[in-house]
Amino acid sequence: MEKVIEVKNLTKEYKKGTKAVDDLSLEVYKGEIVGLLGPNGSGKSTTINCILSLLKYSSGSIKVFGKEMNPDSYDIKSKIGVVFQDVSVFDELTVYENLDYFCGLYIKDKAKRKELVEEAIELVGLQDFKKYRPKQLSGGLLRRLNIACGIAHKPKLIFFDEPTVAVDPQSRNNILSGIEKLREEGATIVYTTHYMEEAEILCDRIIILDKGTVLASGTSDELKELADIEEKVTVEVNDLDEKYIAKISDLKNVDVVTYSGNILLITYKKGKNNISDMVEFLKNNRIKYNKIFSERPTLNDVFLELTGKELRD
Amino acid sequence: MFLHNFKYTLKTLFRNRSLLFWTFAFPLIMATFFHMAFADITEDEQLKTIDIAIVNNNEFNNNMLYKQTFNTLSDDNNEDKLFNITYTDREDAKKLLEDKKIEGYLELNNNTPKLTFQSNGINQTIIKYVVDEIHDTEKMISSMKTDMKSGMNSINTNVCNYVEAKEIELKDTANDNLNYIIIEYFTLIAMTCLYAGSVSMVSINKTLPYLTGKGKRVTVAPTKRSIIIFSSLLASFLVQLLTLGLLFVYLLGVLNVEFGCNVGLMVLLSLVGSLAGVALGLLVGTFVKATENSKTGIMIAITMAGSFLSGMMGVGMKYQIDKNLPLLNKINPANMITDGFYALYYYTDYSRFWFNIGSLLIFISIAVILSSRKIGRARYDSI
Repeated sequence: MEKVIEVKNLTKEYKKGTKAVDDLSLEVYKGEIVGLLGPNGSGKSTTINCILSLLKYSSGSIKVFGKEMNPDSYDIKSKIGVVFQDVSVFDELTVYENLDYFCGLYIKDKAKRKELVEEAIELVGLQDFKKYRPKQLSGGLLRRLNIACGIAHKPKLIFFDEPTVAVDPQSRNNILSGIEKLREEGATIVYTTHYMEEAEILCDRIIILDKGTVLASGTSDELKELADIEEKVTVEVNDLDEKYIAKISDLKNVDVVTYSGNILLITYKKGKNNISDMVEFLKNNRIKYNKIFSERPTLNDVFLELTGKELRD
Repeated sequence: MFLHNFKYTLKTLFRNRSLLFWTFAFPLIMATFFHMAFADITEDEQLKTIDIAIVNNNEFNNNMLYKQTFNTLSDDNNEDKLFNITYTDREDAKKLLEDKKIEGYLELNNNTPKLTFQSNGINQTIIKYVVDEIHDTEKMISSMKTDMKSGMNSINTNVCNYVEAKEIELKDTANDNLNYIIIEYFTLIAMTCLYAGSVSMVSINKTLPYLTGKGKRVTVAPTKRSIIIFSSLLASFLVQLLTLGLLFVYLLGVLNVEFGCNVGLMVLLSLVGSLAGVALGLLVGTFVKATENSKTGIMIAITMAGSFLSGMMGVGMKYQIDKNLPLLNKINPANMITDGFYALYYYTDYSRFWFNIGSLLIFISIAVILSSRKIGRARYDSI
């Protein structure tokens, strides 16, 4: 498969000695959506800024579309679109003018540009807001404009740097479906987020970062295999006696039992029918409960397993 | 690409309301205030002369510079007569001062002027200013005499006499036209020139990836940064030219300010001054890491401070800085512009004017070189 991005042993060390990225290597292939998942400060944005040649890096090599990426690699840059984390548009220009300006940095032909701008507006659902200034838009609409400015020129490789931070659910769905559509049109996408649900829904492959290094990478299912648990059963129950917790710990397949507030959490390393066994136990001991549900391990559990801390810490 | 960025830079600048206020409206408002305030001052000055006394001792009578200057300034035939002078002895002068019949009196002792006042006020300031001017001139002439004695004894007397006579003549001539108010208008034009900095700073902010998200967007685009930066600065300069044009039309056409006959050189100085403003904005925009609003505030503060030091709120400030901190005014672009206008207005010799033009060009070059080194970095250490 064609490599679109190839990063080898990338290290970015700041003058004070802090390593934002530490010997990081990754590859992105044509047509896939790759998620860079990690908590704030894990090196996601720094990695992207190094790939885009915005930041100096201490060592390593970066190739994009098979060529060394440099600040004056205009042929490579013309194929790249970037949606930055912060909304980066002109308050003085209308929605249409913002798009026309940024698209115009890539596309000289006015007629073609007009067509592309209209398409981008349609993609993000801003048809009714073309003449609005950014200050007249809601937070969600503003995020959509921010995205449209990054993708209007139809790039082959698009970086999305946490595009859904602080957006309403409707805009989030619009953004995620827009990204799916861009992939369907043939774009390769690098998507950074600290929302594991988004990464699971959207990404073909996920690279988990922490402290500037790659902890693990693979599909969502492959990563979940890394977690040391098979199943989690959560029971909402009031005033559970200590003796029952000890009894539950002795049940088949049970690994860890915790009871905090009114939430009883039982993790299992293996086995089947764990939830039905638990329902049976509760019934036999006449323990009243409000609800009970079972979960497969999440990416957060994988992260917890790998780092000892929560993804959102 | 050049025209695309140029067009949109103009659009963003013309739709930036706070920028429009500071660049277009504020200088016109200031000019209007100056006009209203100075109209009153001129009328007052025409009506009032200041009563002073001079101790009529031998030293004063033998000092031609003091004697002739005060004769001129108290001449009834002089339209700009400044003083009513009573020549008397020290005791009588004291009594006149105690009786509040005079504002102060001057006594020359050991070549040093001594002024005695009972209170402080505008009249006392004027008296002191005149005496300081004469004293400084006298020292300058004395210094020239000393220098020349060392090697040019034969021409010493003639040259010094010529200089001395010329100085006195210059004083007389200047007095006929002396119009300190015009300096206020010069500082206003200088301030307007430097406001080009606010415009260029706003336009340059959008190109810097370490300052704004827009800068990141522009930097990752396949467009040469030099084209983006140059077209942005050119758009800023165009806005500045319109600002200056409007100000000149208002000053000359509406307020009827008399700037003399060197309009061509005034325009040249304004253009170079505006370029200095653009360069100042480039410098601040490039080096100061702050929000756009904070940077606009910083830019306005620099401009206002520079204008203040060059005499916007009173010519005395320019005089004091020239006298006590000359280096500050030498590196203050507002003063370079003001002083250039001043030189055009008061002197027939253009050397001081060209010196200021040269200083501004040096300032522009330094600002552009420093900014280019910062902007021109291919990649940044941090953004």
